[in-house]
Amino acid sequence: MAGPAARRRGSGPFVLACLLPALVLFVLFMIVPTVNVFRMSFYTWSGFSPDMRFVGLDNFVRLLDDTQFVRAFQNTVALLVVVTVVTMGMGLFLAAIMTRQRLRGRTLYRFVLYVPSVLSVVVIAAIFSALYDQENGLINGTLRLLSLDGLRQVWLGDQDIVLWSLAIAMVWQSLGYYMVLYMSGMASIPEEVYEASALDGASAGRQFFAVTLPLIWQNLRTTLTFFVMSAVNLSFVLVRAMTGGGPDGSSEVLLSYMYKQAYTNSSYGYGMAIGVVIFAFSFLVSLLVSRATRREPLQF
Amino acid sequence: MKDSTRGVLLVTARTIIAAACVAAVVVARTTVGWDSLAIMLVALAVLLGVLASYNRRFR
Repeated sequence: MAGPAARRRGSGPFVLACLLPALVLFVLFMIVPTVNVFRMSFYTWSGFSPDMRFVGLDNFVRLLDDTQFVRAFQNTVALLVVVTVVTMGMGLFLAAIMTRQRLRGRTLYRFVLYVPSVLSVVVIAAIFSALYDQENGLINGTLRLLSLDGLRQVWLGDQDIVLWSLAIAMVWQSLGYYMVLYMSGMASIPEEVYEASALDGASAGRQFFAVTLPLIWQNLRTTLTFFVMSAVNLSFVLVRAMTGGGPDGSSEVLLSYMYKQAYTNSSYGYGMAIGVVIFAFSFLVSLLVSRATRREPLQF
Repeated sequence: MKDSTRGVLLVTARTIIAAACVAAVVVARTTVGWDSLAIMLVALAVLLGVLASYNRRFR
């Protein structure tokens, strides 16, 4: 009769055969393109011609003098910080209310808040473009109706506020999704834990910080990583669909600037150098977030 | 100093630092340049530091 070690040895080829298709796909669609981005960042190439010239680190040196790149980087960091803080704060607040308070029409609120997450980002961009319309938009129209003409703005045409107009759309789009994620974590906390803390005299606020937050910490960790990714990826789609990076590049984010350089400006190598910066930045921030929030999961 | 007072002071300090970091990011964005970007990245790093310091006692 074969022992456990022999059985393990025997199942090795079978496990390998099962893993092989996934491994091949992973290498083909993840590793190869990523390595290619790094490789292409050392070349100048228009994207169409057969001529590729190796330029070493020249593309990265060019980045240092590119004001538009710096602005796109600043916009990405600003969206990352502001959208994360606002969405996370509001998501936690709403999830706590929906879970802990016996609100009438709670299911309706949850549905209304979750609907934007189901919509395509392009549809959301169309909705917000209509809302922000200078003449006939809902916001400026309402302000005119209330005789508050002084508060009317060119929401997508003013360099000072265009990024925050995009940030509002980002928060609106993702709030419901994160709220539901937090609610699922909160719903799994046993009621006895809250009863015990209430007997000890804990207020609702104290319960939130001492019971709820520690017990949904793993959800928070996961969503923080999602925030980093969505600040880079979601912002690109919204910028492309709502402003195209304008006015005068003031709403450009890293990914939209990379896309512009690689596919519109025919500077593929330079675009890939920006891609390397995006990769390094996202990777570093995700790593730091993971390290900063690491703790032993609580059993309950 | 009592533990409860120390706890309240710590929470207040962390909240103020976090709010200051968010404000720094918003204000620094208005000027385009490597200096402003560096300020924003430092503010982001401090925010993560505040998160790490809050999380340390739970590790």
